[in-house]
Amino acid sequence: MIRRSLNTILILLCLAVQASAADANELFNTLRRKIFSVQDYTADVKMRISVKYMRIPQLAGTLYFKSPDKMRLERHGGLSILPRKNINLTIRNLIPAGNATVIDAGEAQIGGKKTRIIKVIPEDDKSDLVLAKIWVDETSMVALRIETATRNEGTLTMDLEYGRYISNGLPDKLLLTLDVKDFRMPKGMTMDYTESRPDEALKDTKGKKGTIQITYLSYKINTGLSDKIFTPEASEP
Amino acid sequence: MKQLLQIELFKIFRRPRTYISFGIVTAITFVIQLAMLTDGKSYMSFALQGVNEQFDIHGNMINGYFITYIILQTLLIQIPLLVALVAGDTLAGEATLGTLRLLLTKPISRNQLILAKFMSSFIYTVLLVIWLAIVALGLSVLIFGRGDMVNIKSDTFILILQNDVLWRYAAAFCFAMLAMTTIASLSILLSVFADNSIGPIISTMGIVVVLTILSNLDLPLFNHIKPYIFTTHMIGWKGFFDDPVPVRQIGISALVLIVYTVAFAGTTLLVFNKKDIKS
Repeated sequence: MIRRSLNTILILLCLAVQASAADANELFNTLRRKIFSVQDYTADVKMRISVKYMRIPQLAGTLYFKSPDKMRLERHGGLSILPRKNINLTIRNLIPAGNATVIDAGEAQIGGKKTRIIKVIPEDDKSDLVLAKIWVDETSMVALRIETATRNEGTLTMDLEYGRYISNGLPDKLLLTLDVKDFRMPKGMTMDYTESRPDEALKDTKGKKGTIQITYLSYKINTGLSDKIFTPEASEP
Repeated sequence: MKQLLQIELFKIFRRPRTYISFGIVTAITFVIQLAMLTDGKSYMSFALQGVNEQFDIHGNMINGYFITYIILQTLLIQIPLLVALVAGDTLAGEATLGTLRLLLTKPISRNQLILAKFMSSFIYTVLLVIWLAIVALGLSVLIFGRGDMVNIKSDTFILILQNDVLWRYAAAFCFAMLAMTTIASLSILLSVFADNSIGPIISTMGIVVVLTILSNLDLPLFNHIKPYIFTTHMIGWKGFFDDPVPVRQIGISALVLIVYTVAFAGTTLLVFNKKDIKS
């Protein structure tokens, strides 16, 4: 009798785990389909880069994106600055495109919203992405936070806020927290007048972290952007 | 006094050496502009190698505003020499020619004469800096165009939006005028002690070079005296390209330069009034 009961519990437990994995898989695939449905976009943006060694005012411009990994910031005569692998500025590139193992990691609250956490491990050994942890708002089917561990760029965290373009899975606001290195030039070359003061925006970040905040003012989605827009020549005056 | 100033200005602008200074400023500016035109990208990629490892920067980085900053930084050592070239000659030149004693037989006080020489040297200095602004900023913007300005410090990368640059240059050139006036005062002071103009010119340059090296050496031994050396404060114009602009620090630097200028001028008056003019 006891043995039969134990067997039943074990079977139910296995079924629950299997169901949970299937749910997590389904959730990830649905989210990925929604995100990947955006092939390109043109967005008017305001960008704020807060890195320990950088003093950059808020930059306004037009951000062009074309899947899978093309991105360019046009500043209408001004300089454009994007992280070297600017692909990380899109949610699409923090989500594995190929086969992946998805694990349900429970629930959590983000900004008062209930989210399901899923951990995604790409099956492609050559992928730069090692692990992605995604906080998914199941009601709106959007990712509110993504934390990724990469081989070459350390840890990246992306926090997203949605508004008018939530149906396309595109955020109104994005905050990317990334690892940054130090920048040093010989003082004899630069002949500094004053010592640099730490950036107020970075007082809460531990170690060598930087943040990039993008506010999307408007989007034009899937207009069929030409590849020419993303050539280096297009950025030069 | 007005007539005396006119005579002093006539003396300065009659001499070919005065125009040599303007020529040298133009030549150095051209050389730097040419170098940046041909090899600016290599210079920029070297300067930004630490930033480029992590960030992609696109657009017209080597623009007129950036080039002007490079020119000003390079001319930091040369401009004092050009100022000393004229200011160091004001009294010593008269002594060499034997006209100083003759001049003092006229119904003017020694104080008036010194004041006129100071003012004429100041006007020359201001004109030289204005000329620098025209050829460095005006010509660079004409050749390289406008754009956001990149300023690279030893540990910071600063980006200044193009609509936020011009007032900084206006302030920087005004500050440069103040710094060069200090040099002019030093030259005139040294000029009181000499009977030929080579001495004060060389001495001014020697003092500026030695003190500039001392100001830039990052050794604890010199850190205590650096704030009291005027060459430490001569680069105060750079502060206008910082973010945020260190207003207090720039104010202190301006004050130090004013104090030095007044001290040099006061000492000149004191020495000249007591000096036995023999030539």
